[in-house]
Amino acid sequence: MSLPLHVESLSVRAPNGRLLLTCPTFSAAPGDVIGLRGPSGAGKSTFLYALAGLQSTMSGKIDWGGTDLAHLGDGARARFRRETIGMIFQDFLLFEELSALGNATLATAFNGADKRRSIRKTAEGFLERLRVPKDRRTVDSFSGGERQRTAIARALAHDPAIILADEPTASLDRDTANALIADLIDLTRSEQKTLIAVSHDLHLLEQMDRVIDIADGRLLSEAALA
Amino acid sequence: MPDLITNNWQSLSPLAQDSLWLALLLLPTFLVGMVVLWGFRPQALVGALLWRFRWTNLTFVLLIAVSVGIGVGLIAQERGLRKGTARAADKFDLIVAAPGSEITMMFAAVYLQPSDVPLLSGEAFNDIATHESVDLAAPIAFGDSYRDSPVVGTTAEFIRHLSGGLAEGRLFAVSGEAVAGSSVDLALGAQFEPAHGVGDAAEEDAHAGTELTIVGRMPPTGSPWDRAILVPVEVVWEVHGLVNGHAPDRSSQIGPPFDPDFFPGTPAVLVRAEALWANYALRSDFTRDDMMAFFPGAVLAQLHSLMGDVRQVMSVMAILTQVLVTAGVLTGLIVLARLFARRLALLRALGAPGRFVFAVVWTYAATLIVAGSLTGLAIGWIAVRVISDVVTARTDILVRATLDWPEFHLIAGFVSLTVLLALLPAFMAMSRNIITDLRA
Repeated sequence: MSLPLHVESLSVRAPNGRLLLTCPTFSAAPGDVIGLRGPSGAGKSTFLYALAGLQSTMSGKIDWGGTDLAHLGDGARARFRRETIGMIFQDFLLFEELSALGNATLATAFNGADKRRSIRKTAEGFLERLRVPKDRRTVDSFSGGERQRTAIARALAHDPAIILADEPTASLDRDTANALIADLIDLTRSEQKTLIAVSHDLHLLEQMDRVIDIADGRLLSEAALA
Repeated sequence: MPDLITNNWQSLSPLAQDSLWLALLLLPTFLVGMVVLWGFRPQALVGALLWRFRWTNLTFVLLIAVSVGIGVGLIAQERGLRKGTARAADKFDLIVAAPGSEITMMFAAVYLQPSDVPLLSGEAFNDIATHESVDLAAPIAFGDSYRDSPVVGTTAEFIRHLSGGLAEGRLFAVSGEAVAGSSVDLALGAQFEPAHGVGDAAEEDAHAGTELTIVGRMPPTGSPWDRAILVPVEVVWEVHGLVNGHAPDRSSQIGPPFDPDFFPGTPAVLVRAEALWANYALRSDFTRDDMMAFFPGAVLAQLHSLMGDVRQVMSVMAILTQVLVTAGVLTGLIVLARLFARRLALLRALGAPGRFVFAVVWTYAATLIVAGSLTGLAIGWIAVRVISDVVTARTDILVRATLDWPEFHLIAGFVSLTVLLALLPAFMAMSRNIITDLRA
């Protein structure tokens, strides 16, 4: 499944009403690999979470292939994420007491019986492809790279059309980060998914098709990376 | 319709009724569990969270377990004590004594608790013994002791009635012989000298020169009589310098009939009628100005009725304590849920429905509650065994308290009530802001 994205007149507010982000217009096509950068507090993660339908107070339009997340209820947004979006976080956010497979197949706990088998199969495939140990060891004994690759396998286990990554390499050393970026972009392009990643990592941003600057809660023009 | 239900219910066996009650009490737990967990499989996640905070969880489980254990232990113990005291009084159909407190007399005559009571005259005893409906009229004369064993004067017929046959030896036949209770530390053939009075107030040398020989031993009765030494009532009178119940020309006689003119008095008389119903007529006949008659079972029932009220209060307090402890634990869980709020937010970010997060927190709490309750059941079981042994050792009333259906019902009710309470932290966890928790 490939989903084009079209954002229009988006404004995101905090629960207290304070304006956090505005985005007049933004688009992405399936297969796009897009970077978001900007200073801390600029609104990068806010934009990413808005694209995932996690922001509770927003107006405008976030249209993923005909589904406007901005106007869906919590349940429908959760369903959309469950079926369409894979999320990767800066500090992995794994369940330390579970194995790599346990983490990667987390979605089997809240998906229907019809999807559990395919999620498990896909997760096992990605763990193998990303060279993550599939034994019974819990991930608390894993290196940073192994943990983040486990998190990627978790994000991709349900075969999402969209991958949203928040600082995916921030907790990793250079070599590990490079290998991970290569894996992530390779996966995205080969599977015709859409990858949008928030990052300060120049090496990661250099490999993106497009990089968008965000400052003071506003999306600026696309940046050219030398 | 209600009649139909009542009739059907009453046609069930007690086991079926108790089982159904248990199922009904647990029904809310199963229903809530089914509704909350429908379509989800949070076990692995909950297991991971439980393991991560294992020491905190263990504390919660122990808190619940101790409160549940104390609750069921108290209730089971009270029931065991009630049954034990009733069993100990089983052989005492009707007690006749000089007017006074029935309770005091019951404790003195049935449970051999030291007490000063007025004596029943020879004339009164004669009226009892010669009543046409009386099958057995045995004087019970207490007040002396040997070490920590009460020495009780009575008749051989009473021993036969109380013990249903000796475990070893024979009944006393002459005034220097005695029969020991099952737990008296005197072997057959052993001799002893009774003291006047009991306990610390006993005068060891008051009956110096009176040597009694153990010739028989009763089997265990589960009553304070297991600790007693039974001697011919004539011996008790003689060592106190009184006439021995028989005319001088028959002074060596042991047991009935007694001569009213030479009867020094007895604190109590055990009376048994030929027919059970006749005991009621005897109670009426022997309730006079100079004597009172009562059924120890009836007095005990009054006491138990009073204890029953106390039991109900205890039950309510036990449940309240358990609920309060659980409320405390659930409050702790709300705090604990904040510790794993980021993980719950992660689940939401991955697309888990809010109801799944609700299910995770509820299952977490329910697991602690059920684990605490089951551990509490084990603690209660151990507690009643230990306390029963202590009470039996201290009172000589055989208390065999065990956990029974009321305790299982109590725990089932407790579990159902508290898993409903556990919906609160689950609801609170579901209502948290995802972004705030993700960034925490």
